[in-house]
Amino acid sequence: MSRAGQALRTSYLVACVAGVAFFVLSVALLGVWPARVLDAQTAAMAPEKPLEPTTSEKRGRAVYAREGCAYCHTQQIRYLHADMARFGAPTLAWETRRDTPHLWGTRRIGPDLSRVGGARSLDWHYAHLYAPRAIVASSVMPGYPALFDGAPDRPRQDARDLVAYLDSLGRARELAGPEGEARAKEGCNCPDDEMQQMAFEGALNAHPARAIRTLESAPSLAGGDLARGQALYGRHCANCHGATGAGDGPGARYLVPAPARLAEHSYTTARLAEVLWHGVAGSAMPAWRDHSTEDRAALARAVQALSAPRPEPEVPAHLVALGRDVYAANCAQCHGVDGDGRGSAAAKLAMAPANFTAQRLSLTEAVRVLREGVHGSPMAPWTTRLTDAERLAAAHYVRSLFRATPPATEAR
Amino acid sequence: MSVTFGLVAAWQLIAPDLGRDVAWLGWGRVRYAHTQGIMLGWLANAFFAFLYHAVPILTGRPVTSARLGVWIFALWNFAVMAPGWTLVLAGVSQPLEWAEFPLVVDVVAILALALAGVQFLPGFFRRGIESLYVSSWYIIGGLVFTLLSYPMGNVVPEFLPGAAGAAISGLWIHDAVGLFVTPMALAILYFVIPASTGRPIFSHFLSMLGFWLLFFLYPLNGTHHYVYSVIPMAAQLTAIVASALLGVTVVIVVTNLFLSMRGAGLLPADPALRFVGAGTFFYVVVSLQGSAQAQMAVNETVHFTDWVVAHSHMAMLGFASYAAAAGLVHAWQRMPAARYNAAAISWAYWLITIGLVGMVVDLTIGGLVQGELWKSGAPWIDSVTASRVYWVARAHIGSILAAGFIALLVGLTTGPRGAGMAVRSAPPADGHDEVAPRLAPVTEAV
Repeated sequence: MSRAGQALRTSYLVACVAGVAFFVLSVALLGVWPARVLDAQTAAMAPEKPLEPTTSEKRGRAVYAREGCAYCHTQQIRYLHADMARFGAPTLAWETRRDTPHLWGTRRIGPDLSRVGGARSLDWHYAHLYAPRAIVASSVMPGYPALFDGAPDRPRQDARDLVAYLDSLGRARELAGPEGEARAKEGCNCPDDEMQQMAFEGALNAHPARAIRTLESAPSLAGGDLARGQALYGRHCANCHGATGAGDGPGARYLVPAPARLAEHSYTTARLAEVLWHGVAGSAMPAWRDHSTEDRAALARAVQALSAPRPEPEVPAHLVALGRDVYAANCAQCHGVDGDGRGSAAAKLAMAPANFTAQRLSLTEAVRVLREGVHGSPMAPWTTRLTDAERLAAAHYVRSLFRATPPATEAR
Repeated sequence: MSVTFGLVAAWQLIAPDLGRDVAWLGWGRVRYAHTQGIMLGWLANAFFAFLYHAVPILTGRPVTSARLGVWIFALWNFAVMAPGWTLVLAGVSQPLEWAEFPLVVDVVAILALALAGVQFLPGFFRRGIESLYVSSWYIIGGLVFTLLSYPMGNVVPEFLPGAAGAAISGLWIHDAVGLFVTPMALAILYFVIPASTGRPIFSHFLSMLGFWLLFFLYPLNGTHHYVYSVIPMAAQLTAIVASALLGVTVVIVVTNLFLSMRGAGLLPADPALRFVGAGTFFYVVVSLQGSAQAQMAVNETVHFTDWVVAHSHMAMLGFASYAAAAGLVHAWQRMPAARYNAAAISWAYWLITIGLVGMVVDLTIGGLVQGELWKSGAPWIDSVTASRVYWVARAHIGSILAAGFIALLVGLTTGPRGAGMAVRSAPPADGHDEVAPRLAPVTEAV
């Protein structure tokens, strides 16, 4: 063999070794070393006793993996303010320490689900899995009727597990509480690392639809544009509340409690501002914080326009005193002496009692609710405890508690 | 089949109730079947087919064993593809990108790849590695490194949790395309050009430089799939820098390929060469795009969007499938018993090109719209409704692509036997019909 050939051969052999070495280097540098760093980070930053997934949640995770959910929904909130504003705190290593195999995903067609736990009610999840477009009109998510026994209220084991899993996402960090965050921050020991510090900035869970039961007031709304509001209502609300506000949208029959019959209610603008900002905790009604103030004002205006003004029914004189007494004896504990929904028992109920000062039901709706109750809420039917006359009197009375404020358009 | 799965998934995005009551037609499962099918069903089979044509010419001796060939074919198609597709559609899968076939299938795939190594590689070492042509290097590299990276990417992340698993998974996403698909595709491009033009390639030195740089750099790219994640920033930055360097390397490779093709014109008469030219073009575009989108400022906006979907179509369809088609057409032209329908192959070229360009433009714009809407803080659903027009276009463009692949199938299965031989009627530039001498490395006089 010539000398040049020998040299070439030697250099190729060196290159072969280098090629394999680069592959090994890539696995070591980008696979093994990060794993060690992440393990150390997990050990230092995880809460002392982090929440472990239940058997049902683990099975649900397998359903999520099997159906390729991760190919449209990521479970990785990036260290970017746009991600954080929409979904919450960036995903820490310890949060996914039980995710084997990982479900981070590389494509977002639907939103990130890292912190969806607690953001939606279970009936919303079941209905949405069964028939997504019955709930979200322009959703492109496939339905999964195979997980159900013919209807969303008859979930099979797979659907129960999947929803249990979804509802657990992000929960471990949330339950670790401020102590957990403090421990993580201390364990991180990275006061100068701007990126790592982002993990502790802002809200842990920023899910814009998460319903919050809070006494904090919502940003006030005024001057909504009716036409825009009606368009938005058609896109986002009609699916559940019905096009005319009769509570008969395609999603309505799947939800418990049923969506409010908006046409039968007069709401103050302040009440609508509150509901659109906080949602209605305990029901499928989400918050709409991702919509601009103008859009929420427009929506409020459109909702108010659903209940056409009708002649006020006369209150028969003999019912006035009776209504007051019935209310004081049976309703005030929850709905409050003044009807503001802050009765002595209110805080303990799964759903906040109606605030009658901020909404007025039509007489027929008030009578119906007293007769039938609100299925899925703490409001029971009162047919066994109250006579027809007493219920009618109470219906008149709660209507009288309404403290009307000017509608949104005139409030500016 | 794989294109059909992709088409179904594309239509399901605009008609989401399509296949609603059929569990195995669920979008996620079809999506698994689409990408695994394209990589393992279409590209791998096409590559193997081409190797049976190229390896005997490159090594000067037949492959190891015809019976082994039957075994590899049977294992790959009846023990990897058939059960792989069946299982993912039935709901037995791994939620790992480019690795969705379950473990039991992975075991068979690794076995089949090892057998392919036995089948194709021994001949290369007969005359000493100093006299190997670049295509031989790519074939050796591709088979050896796929055997290393396939278990790493398909098996390890199934048992590693969270971020650590994602880190390995990210490596495989890039190794699958960089260490398996790219070397095989480049082996074809470097083979078909001199065989078809009748001239040696422009520079053996540049070809070898590109070869080694690609193998050094490709594995270091993977973490760029998880920029801004909790994976240590040092690893992310390594991948980002490697991605930029990779773009430079590809420019070297592609320059050499185009210079080797000089004189063939923009639309060469030989359809194989035509596929080579377009594939080379898409290779440089997709690589430079990849270098750009790995950079943090770009990644911030385009990550998670349809931009990336466009990118992977340009890689697996624009670059790899063009190379695979070039290899098949080229081999068909040299088999007297092979049916060959020139018109259908021409149709295939144009339909796939129109479809690909349309899809890439469409989804790239769609991806930018999505990224900007997400940053604007608009309600999530706005990005879905805004995407619809791009998804409608994509689903229709997908039909053009499907037609293109059907035309390719028709082109290689109908027409008179041996009709492909006619394409070679023009005398080669070097005056003799023997391909092998042109595929020997030429030591350049500097």
